[in-house]
Amino acid sequence: MKKILLFVTALCLVAAQATASEPIRIGLMAPITGPWASEGQEMKQVLDLIAGDVNAKGGILGRQVEVITEDDGGDPRTAALAAQKLITRGVIAVIGTYGSSVTEATQRIYNESRVIHVANGSTAVRLTEKGLKYFFRTCPRDDEQGRVAAQTIRRMKHRRVAILHDNTTYARGLAEEARSLLRKAAVPVVFYDALTPGERDYTAIITKMKGAGPDVIFFTGYYPEAGLLLRQKKERKWNVPVLGGDATNNPDIIKIAGKEAAKGFMFLSAPLPKDLSSKQAKSFLSSFSRTYGRQPNSIYSILAGDGFRVVIEAVRATGGTDPDAMAGFLHSRKFRDRNGLTGVISFNGKGDREGEVYRGYKVDAQGRFILQK
Amino acid sequence: MEEFFQQLTNGLTVGGIYALIALGYTMVYGVLKLINFAHGDLFTIGAYLGLTLLVSLGLMDHLGPIAGVLVLALLVMGLLALVGALLERAAYRPLRESPRLSAVVSALGASIFLQNTLMLIYGARFQVYPQDILPETALNLFGVDIPVIRMLILFASLILMAALYLFIQKTRIGTAIRAAAIDQNAARLMGIDVNRVILIVFLVGPALGGVAGLMVGLLYGQINFTMGWVYGLKAFTAAILGGIGNIPGAMVGGLLLGIIESLGAAYISIAWKDAIAFFILILILIVRPTGLLGERVAEKI
Repeated sequence: MKKILLFVTALCLVAAQATASEPIRIGLMAPITGPWASEGQEMKQVLDLIAGDVNAKGGILGRQVEVITEDDGGDPRTAALAAQKLITRGVIAVIGTYGSSVTEATQRIYNESRVIHVANGSTAVRLTEKGLKYFFRTCPRDDEQGRVAAQTIRRMKHRRVAILHDNTTYARGLAEEARSLLRKAAVPVVFYDALTPGERDYTAIITKMKGAGPDVIFFTGYYPEAGLLLRQKKERKWNVPVLGGDATNNPDIIKIAGKEAAKGFMFLSAPLPKDLSSKQAKSFLSSFSRTYGRQPNSIYSILAGDGFRVVIEAVRATGGTDPDAMAGFLHSRKFRDRNGLTGVISFNGKGDREGEVYRGYKVDAQGRFILQK
Repeated sequence: MEEFFQQLTNGLTVGGIYALIALGYTMVYGVLKLINFAHGDLFTIGAYLGLTLLVSLGLMDHLGPIAGVLVLALLVMGLLALVGALLERAAYRPLRESPRLSAVVSALGASIFLQNTLMLIYGARFQVYPQDILPETALNLFGVDIPVIRMLILFASLILMAALYLFIQKTRIGTAIRAAAIDQNAARLMGIDVNRVILIVFLVGPALGGVAGLMVGLLYGQINFTMGWVYGLKAFTAAILGGIGNIPGAMVGGLLLGIIESLGAAYISIAWKDAIAFFILILILIVRPTGLLGERVAEKI
């Protein structure tokens, strides 16, 4: 009996020793496989890079930071399992993920386990309308994009607008938002309809739209369809300008449409990594290309990096890993306009990022994305 | 009126492609009473093989655009015939005597296998055909702009369909195929090698599906490994619309489906165009349960 007691005491001592020097674990839930694998893999690269940097400078509160990655496969069901795995590994916060429906499947799991959750690519409005205390996001919301789109269209002095979406939650929400704002501003929307994503032939839609005589088309869907629309529009020799939402921001759109058809295409997006201008961003980008031999492709991976930095800052400021203290700090006025990689960061009471994030881009004759002032 | 004709030509191009794919479904169904779910993926393989051959062989540089595309189409058809024959050997022949449901499951399995093989070989991203292979000029007929490439594709599919029709109606092999479609046992008694007939069906159907894949690649540029699903579904619908098992029916069904879709999109709603197409399919099936041209074959006793 004595021996067992001794053993248990020893075990407790070892365990206590272990917690003192144990690393702070921060989870990354990302699509490492599946259709968005390139996004997820870059998210992991970004977080590994920043964590390495923090650890090289002595960690936080004398403890090392460890990134624990779980693959969500871009699928809500896989994500729910990934979330549970991360929680059992004792993470204090989770960064991720990309798709809104995937994030949604895990929100309550993290919230119930009192884990800080910072999404980086999930822009659906309702995610922050649930009053979840521990949920934040570094990316903007879709209604914000609708506002910027309506503003851009008005600024370009277009008088007849065609709006086309693809019936996905995201594209439809954006289209509805833009339509109601344009109506309020008395800009007539002469065409409003949806295409079926995944098809190849959109000439019936183009012919019909042409009949409505718009002077600009706002397409809120994704890049594969946008590329085909541009290509088939050119085939019909129709020179109306096209504006896209941020789901058209992908270099593949140029490949699909061809440089000639893509030239002049405009889209709204959070700034591309190459156009980030802050000092932090510049030094981060140069260390990224030193480590991985290329520039990051996606703004969402940089937004994941911002989420990670925000969590680190919260741990530092609150002097511990208590989720209530951290969430309170991030919501409070003490955390205002902090310099992030993608610009200044502050959160409102819902956990949404404040301030304007979207920029206008235009495709030039070489198929490059050029930031519009 | 101009818009109407424009929409009509839009629909005809799409319909021509549906019809070519539908022929593969209907031929296999006619002879084997099996819905070959892997047919849509054979179409996708055609698109990918076309791209690979186009990029690696440089046919256009040696032969010029028209001859180059012709040779390319023949190569794709040949290769797809081979793939079709392999598929029949591996997935369907071993199940010839099993219940029909087993063959259907095998077809679904083959479909998943082919789709994932393509993804592993070519990757999950969209692949794009090089541009400017065919001239981008458009003809103006009565105020309607019709790109030449669309006309070429429509004509090519009509010629292929006509050739198939003559092959089935006028040749000995065609007669054997028709005989096997009516009654396999009787055909066997007449000295027809039914296994060979089935093999021929699996050479011709996939070849037509493959060349349709090549056309989609040339016309739209963008291909990916899941595209066989949508086209397969539409072509299957077209086959039923025309009367499954009936070759002219598949042609009519395909062209009609394309036209219904584009006119439905034009005059009712774009978002509802599939719903409109399927609604019309249901209406037609209520009036004519065997499809437009399908004939009621007497029950075998």
